[in-house]
Amino acid sequence: MNTPTSVSTETRRGSVTCVGMGITLGSHLTPLARNTIETADVVFAALSDHVVELWLQRMNPEVRSLQPYYRPGKSRMKTYREWVDVMMAEVRAGKRVCSVFYGHPGIFAWSPHKVIEVARAEGYEAYMEPGISAEDCLYADLGIDPARCGCQHLEASQLLLFERNLDTTGHVVLWQLGVVGDRSLGRFRTPDAYRELLTERLCQDYPADHEVIVYRAPTLPIEGPHIQRVALRDFPGASFIGQETLVLPPVHAMKPNAIMRARLDALDAIHGTGAEAVVPA
Amino acid sequence: MRDTVELLEAIGRDAKLRHASPDELAQALEAAEASAGLRELAANGDDTTLTKELGLKQMHVEHMSQTAGHEGDDDHERHHHHDDDKDDEPKQRPDDADDTPPA
Repeated sequence: MNTPTSVSTETRRGSVTCVGMGITLGSHLTPLARNTIETADVVFAALSDHVVELWLQRMNPEVRSLQPYYRPGKSRMKTYREWVDVMMAEVRAGKRVCSVFYGHPGIFAWSPHKVIEVARAEGYEAYMEPGISAEDCLYADLGIDPARCGCQHLEASQLLLFERNLDTTGHVVLWQLGVVGDRSLGRFRTPDAYRELLTERLCQDYPADHEVIVYRAPTLPIEGPHIQRVALRDFPGASFIGQETLVLPPVHAMKPNAIMRARLDALDAIHGTGAEAVVPA
Repeated sequence: MRDTVELLEAIGRDAKLRHASPDELAQALEAAEASAGLRELAANGDDTTLTKELGLKQMHVEHMSQTAGHEGDDDHERHHHHDDDKDDEPKQRPDDADDTPPA
């Protein structure tokens, strides 16, 4: 599968660019990402839908799917390291490599960051081009502006394995629910009981009847987004195929910071509030 | 019959079709001579026929984990010395805190 690494590294011709395919077929691919794909010698693909992979093959016949590296019971970290190895083998062979990941290549994806780090350390050109992520779709489909009261993103498992503090005055978004609680990294889906445990943890910070949103962005353009609003206690029984994200809207109002407001008053007294009428010079 | 992937790309970049009603989409698919599988998926969400038509396989979507010790020293050594060490499993336990930043 890999090209022999016989080309002298003196030339340093090889390069790698990680691009995002976006989420929805036909709607999200940027012109720069498309051009990077079309002009690459080799294209590696880690996509969320086989139809999208078929679309990618129309842009460049040298597509190599990274899907076969997954295997039940095999740690996904081993898979991700193998991805970096096969990508770097082509870079070292002097190829112009494009690695395509669904959504944004730098969000919830380990290999793109790693292959860029390794390639640069060895003197090769390496870039990442952003793509439209599931997070971007979520803001559009659910009408959430993350700047309004903040938005905390976590891998769902992290909430079970570590003592994380949730900011209940802003939105909390939990990702990779399908494998929540999987410590082996060898499962593609954990039983519903693991999502029940997650719910139990969330109920430490939220009322059980707090309305949460189970969200999934559409991969094909003939589909709409999946948006299911349920009480937190009912989340484990929600319709679920494994690619969903859980959104917890704020449950508390932001508390004014009296001390910092007083400090701002003091600064305004010196520098002005910015509201004074402007006097012409 | 219209090529399915080509048709999906066309729909994906068509501002009117992208948010068309189910009836409008069904009419557009019929007019475009879409495959039976694509029309079934659009009509009732059933991808059985489309899966057969295109030979589709289930894709795995997890591309990372914040919970594994994947930024350890062994990783640095492995990639910079090009050793052929087969034992490339993370050495930390998955539930150990490591140096990974928050998402």
